[in-house]
Amino acid sequence: MIRLQHVSMVFGAGPSRVAALSDVSFHIAKGEFVVLTGASGAGKTTLLRLLYRAESPSEGDIDVAGFDVAALRRSEIPRLRRSIGIVFQDAKLLAGRTVFENVAFVLRVLGTARRDITPKAFAALKAVGLSARAQAYPHQLSQGEAQRASLARAIVKSPGLLLADEPTGNLDEEMASEILGLVKDIWSRGTTVLFATHQARLVPQLKRRTLKLEGGRLVKDEG
Amino acid sequence: MMLSFVVNEAMRDLRRAGKVGLAAILLIALSLTALGGFWLLSLNLGRAIDQWGDRVRVIAYLKDEPPAGKLEELLQRIEAVGGIQRLRYVSKTEALRALKRSLGSQADVAEQLPRNPLPASVEVTPDAAIATPEGTRALVGRLTTLPEVEEVQGGSQWVDGLAQFRRLFQGVGLVIGAVLAVAAILTVTTATTLVLHLRRDEMEIMRLVGATEHVIRAPRLVQGMAQGLVAAIVALATLEIAYALAVPRLEPLLPVTLGLERVTFLSPVQALALIGTGTMLGALGGFLARGRTPA
Repeated sequence: MIRLQHVSMVFGAGPSRVAALSDVSFHIAKGEFVVLTGASGAGKTTLLRLLYRAESPSEGDIDVAGFDVAALRRSEIPRLRRSIGIVFQDAKLLAGRTVFENVAFVLRVLGTARRDITPKAFAALKAVGLSARAQAYPHQLSQGEAQRASLARAIVKSPGLLLADEPTGNLDEEMASEILGLVKDIWSRGTTVLFATHQARLVPQLKRRTLKLEGGRLVKDEG
Repeated sequence: MMLSFVVNEAMRDLRRAGKVGLAAILLIALSLTALGGFWLLSLNLGRAIDQWGDRVRVIAYLKDEPPAGKLEELLQRIEAVGGIQRLRYVSKTEALRALKRSLGSQADVAEQLPRNPLPASVEVTPDAAIATPEGTRALVGRLTTLPEVEEVQGGSQWVDGLAQFRRLFQGVGLVIGAVLAVAAILTVTTATTLVLHLRRDEMEIMRLVGATEHVIRAPRLVQGMAQGLVAAIVALATLEIAYALAVPRLEPLLPVTLGLERVTFLSPVQALALIGTGTMLGALGGFLARGRTPA
């Protein structure tokens, strides 16, 4: 599902040159659940941004879901992103829309048939246990609920790959465990998951293959 | 489905634009009203010019009244100079009769004349193709060379003056309309950019979930087009009202000034062209709006 070969990412030039990633290579098979860990600034977010082509690598090859990501033309990026669900540390919900509208928005943007939107959106909300809050606005949600809504939005288009960039970073332990459980549920239904977190205490709970980044280098791949 | 999404988002954005969006509509309406107003006046001036152009006459005054047997031959020779649509011979007697008619109650003054001083003449209507100042001048020149002709009068200089005024009028109208149109485009661009700023989170989500740039950008085009369309309808309604108010006051003066019986309004095709122009102006403003650089 994901293959990186000798990927490096450098920002700036000269004295302000920063190597965010250096010679990173790994492979994640379809259906795997992989944890990406490392301290803040280790390069986790940069790596995820490379995977959905928000950035282009300075060097190396990246293959995601059959797309040669580094070589993608701008017009082809939407096709790559349709195969990926993404969740962030901040839920990024649209303030003026209800939870249901936030989830349905994805389907509307992608041109889903009108008759399919409501059942699909409600199915996604049900999967994250948020059906009862469908008509609530983001400001009426707890942080855990907002993150669950964000998960529903990520999975509503049935992506083959879920990229989670610190989705538990703002949550207390109980809520974080809740979100972790939901991500595992999504993975158990066949979605490949790459879960980035700097919270070392979560890693043992997950009991999954772990990739560790330090200063932009992959220093551990175990499990 | 995608069309309804684009239209719904555009309408939502238009509501978000608020007063700036309204200002854009008013500016486009103002520019179209100015353009349409100049167009309307120019069309009617053009009609007057065409009518007066049809009435251009050249009169060839004859040295002597031709004998009855020679008249036909003279008219044929005049016609042979070319560029003539119609000829009408006016005898001395007929000329005097016309003078008396124009004198009205003073006609008996003409009775006091010892003899008829008026010359016979030939009224020449030039071909439409040469009813221009240059063409008429050339015709006058050719008629002057005929030995039977004493003097030739007539021309279309004043019609040409009117035509020049019309061209100047159209130029002024275009310049004013263009300046207002640029202002309108900039306002639509500002309104749309403001909305893009407001909806940057939505655009980020759209890009992240895989929406194409066409889908992301289409609402701003539709928003601009909607503003232009509404503005064009407002402009057309303003022109219609102004026309309805002005026509009853102007029409009595028209026959004696421009020689027109009535003022005409824009035809349905011209009105549609005005609406199309408004919609295009709005679309251009929407197209030029710049949002945040895509991730």
